[in-house]
Amino acid sequence: MDTDLVIRAQRGDEEAFASLAVAVGDRLHAVSHRILRDIDLAEDATQQALLAIWRDLPKLRDPARFDAWSYRLLVHACYAEGRRTRQWAPNLRILPVDESVGPDASGSVADRDQLERGFRRLSIDHRAVVVLHHYLDLPLEEVAETLGVPIGTVRSRLHYAMRGLRAALDADARPARQEAVK
Amino acid sequence: MSTDRETTRFVRSWLEEGVTALPDRVLDAVLDQVPATPQRRRFWSAWRPNQMNLYAKLLAGAAAVLLVAVVGYQFLPGRGLDSGGPTVAPSPTSAALLARGTFKLYGADVDLNATGGGDSVTGTMTVSHEDGDFSVDLKCSRTTEDGVILIAGDITDSASPHARKGARELIVLKPGSPVYASFDSEGRAGGDVMPAASCPALLEQVIDTGTQTVIGPNGLEPIDGTVELAP
Repeated sequence: MDTDLVIRAQRGDEEAFASLAVAVGDRLHAVSHRILRDIDLAEDATQQALLAIWRDLPKLRDPARFDAWSYRLLVHACYAEGRRTRQWAPNLRILPVDESVGPDASGSVADRDQLERGFRRLSIDHRAVVVLHHYLDLPLEEVAETLGVPIGTVRSRLHYAMRGLRAALDADARPARQEAVK
Repeated sequence: MSTDRETTRFVRSWLEEGVTALPDRVLDAVLDQVPATPQRRRFWSAWRPNQMNLYAKLLAGAAAVLLVAVVGYQFLPGRGLDSGGPTVAPSPTSAALLARGTFKLYGADVDLNATGGGDSVTGTMTVSHEDGDFSVDLKCSRTTEDGVILIAGDITDSASPHARKGARELIVLKPGSPVYASFDSEGRAGGDVMPAASCPALLEQVIDTGTQTVIGPNGLEPIDGTVELAP
């Protein structure tokens, strides 16, 4: 990110902020959509996050940390949307892992649907870690810094989230295999 | 059964799908609101010495001279701090009340007693509920511009599935008649308060998101009982 743009926006330069918003808007929206899995909620979350960025920019001490800071505000906005709609499952549920066929390596429609359902069962805590690490390719240390949690917590969340997704894929794939045997 | 590597590859591939562009109307809506949205500034940034004008520097210098004179006067024989005469130990002053009361909230019995403020809060909150009880050692507080008081601390003891020992718990109190309140646990699965690096950071995060200070089915509810709040 252009730190000069960030500094100008910190000082209240609305044109600089507009340029900043254009530069980061797509990326923030892509992340919020992947966390929330709903286009309307994601648009609301992104809008709220961008306004929060404008409002709180003067509080950002190190403009070079803008990216991590903006993701943190975005995840906060995703929490807020989640709270507003109350569409989330209360807990991470791990489905039983059983021997079954794995996901189609090419990613069939059925597999993607199973993954979608498995992902929606995760809490936002877990979704955020998966998206920041596997979509944005942030190292776990940066994920921890972005979310403001210890690295051990990030590792734990990622482990349980991936285990839940794997279990969802395997469990949901099992009936298909049994169906195929018949 | 799929391997971890297969799952990771599949998840990464799946995450690549989906929208990547923010619609113009959303961006326009944000930019339309910017002129009417004031930025929040830190206190200290407005008072850094290098930002003071000459007049402010002169005032600050005069204030410093006056302070030295007043303190020096206290050390003159027969005056103040080192008079050699009988001294009176400062009587312990009771810390300022922050919040004290017993009430029902979300079907739980809450006993709250907190004094102090900011990053120096002392007190406890105990919550008794049919799902299990828990206790909180209160540590910090914030008051929003519209008078909503947020107090947080560490959960020291818990038999409740809603409050994990070692995590932070938060109570929000909106003065009025009746007083409205809510509480939540940091990092509760499916909850709404993200873990934070410190007690003050947790409260500032909650204030920033604004989710805990809204009256409604998922926010603040009227308490049943009484609570005395800091004026």
